Amino acid sequence: MTTNKSLFLIPKFITTPSQNGVGRYVCQLQRVVLKFCKNHGSSRGIREFIEYDLLNFANKNPEVVVYLKPRRHRGPVIKAEYLNGDDQIVFCHNNTREEIAKWLNLLRTQSGNHDGTRLRKLWHTDYPSIQGPWTPYTFRDPALNLAEFPNEELSRPLDQPKTATEELDELFKKQQESEVAESSEVK
Amino acid sequence: MALLRRTLVNLSYCLTQTVYNTPVKVPNRAIKRWVAPTLRELERRRKKMESQPLQPRTSYLEWNYDAEIYAFAKRLGETFDDALLRRAFVHRTYVIQQEIKGNETDLQDNRELINEGESFVIDCIKKHFQNKYLPDVVNALQSYLTSESMLSHVASHMGVKDLILSADFPVEKSTLSNTFKAVVAALRQSTDEKRATAFINDFLICQLNGKDIFDVWDLSNPYEYLLRVLKEKGYSEVEPRLCNQSAANTVLANYQVGLYSNKKLLGIGWGESIEIAKDTAALDAIQKLQSIDKI
Repeated sequence: MTTNKSLFLIPKFITTPSQNGVGRYVCQLQRVVLKFCKNHGSSRGIREFIEYDLLNFANKNPEVVVYLKPRRHRGPVIKAEYLNGDDQIVFCHNNTREEIAKWLNLLRTQSGNHDGTRLRKLWHTDYPSIQGPWTPYTFRDPALNLAEFPNEELSRPLDQPKTATEELDELFKKQQESEVAESSEVK
Repeated sequence: MALLRRTLVNLSYCLTQTVYNTPVKVPNRAIKRWVAPTLRELERRRKKMESQPLQPRTSYLEWNYDAEIYAFAKRLGETFDDALLRRAFVHRTYVIQQEIKGNETDLQDNRELINEGESFVIDCIKKHFQNKYLPDVVNALQSYLTSESMLSHVASHMGVKDLILSADFPVEKSTLSNTFKAVVAALRQSTDEKRATAFINDFLICQLNGKDIFDVWDLSNPYEYLLRVLKEKGYSEVEPRLCNQSAANTVLANYQVGLYSNKKLLGIGWGESIEIAKDTAALDAIQKLQSIDKI
């Protein structure tokens, strides 16, 4: 049996590992290994990054341990290790110095490896409903507390239209009321 | 005939050419058709092999313990005494292992730090909650927060897993939780009690965020418990009233019970029977009494 499961991204919700940021913020990237070749052209960008930007990066982020691993004639790779045990490997063949910096910034600000996943919602709330779940007693008319059953008024269907007799009755009553009002004004 | 002669001459010319100047072999620049099958075969053999045991991160070529220790302290935003922090990671099992191997080490293990840290963590949590909640709730919170699973969870998210020196690999939960206690004690000794308290606040007590009190506290008989608490607080008699009911004698039966004392509503609750509704109402009342809606 074949499935198309591998074609789809794994759905995920936004989460924070171990209540990060509730107490104090902890950078979730714990170490990063830059693997590169010392003379191959495809590693040029990463070599330039190491030469010009790496010390700044290490100074700014003392919580991240940076390792350099030269490997002869193999493609440049960034391997990131997160506090939750995730590993992420970024292949940066022919990347420029700026692109390497951008990748590292992404890895530094992520909470883990989110490759191959999609977010089902872009927000999260602990209180999906403020007033709570509906029960048969929410918005219940307090008049029902004193009602006695069987009750003719409450037993009628809610959407029953008025009969012609009832409408005529109402009209007659209105007419009488207005006549009474007029006569009282005249007095 | 002439044609034949010409071809023969050509042929002889070719032969002499090959003999005197060896032909240059043009490299084949076509698609390398051996690559994919080779990779496939390698993958097949890798799968056929039994799963390899996990390798500790310390055994990698790119590993620098000093740098890792430095980064650990920076990650937590604390300044540790270096020797104390290093000692917090050395477990008794590691020292024994080294002795058996015949390696002479002057490493001190972290047993004292663990003991000191444990009592400090418990004290800290109790102090934090004792003025707000009932003693039973404080005890429940304390045992929840200092449970092995909670402490090991917190410790592993601080990144101690690879730094721990102990005989067990992969690191066990008990080792992780002990390391957390040792780190707390090391911090307390390197700085002061105030910083250590703030540390416990930020890393351990914040784990209660989004938790309900009754997620942590398993109360078996809420109604009787409420009666006892109310008696201590000097409330007059409690009167449970059936506020609403619907669908009685069906599968979807539900009742709403409110607990009143001196015409004041203490708590209200629902349930599929009156007894259950009374208990949920008691839970609600206990929450409202302490204003511990959310911790």
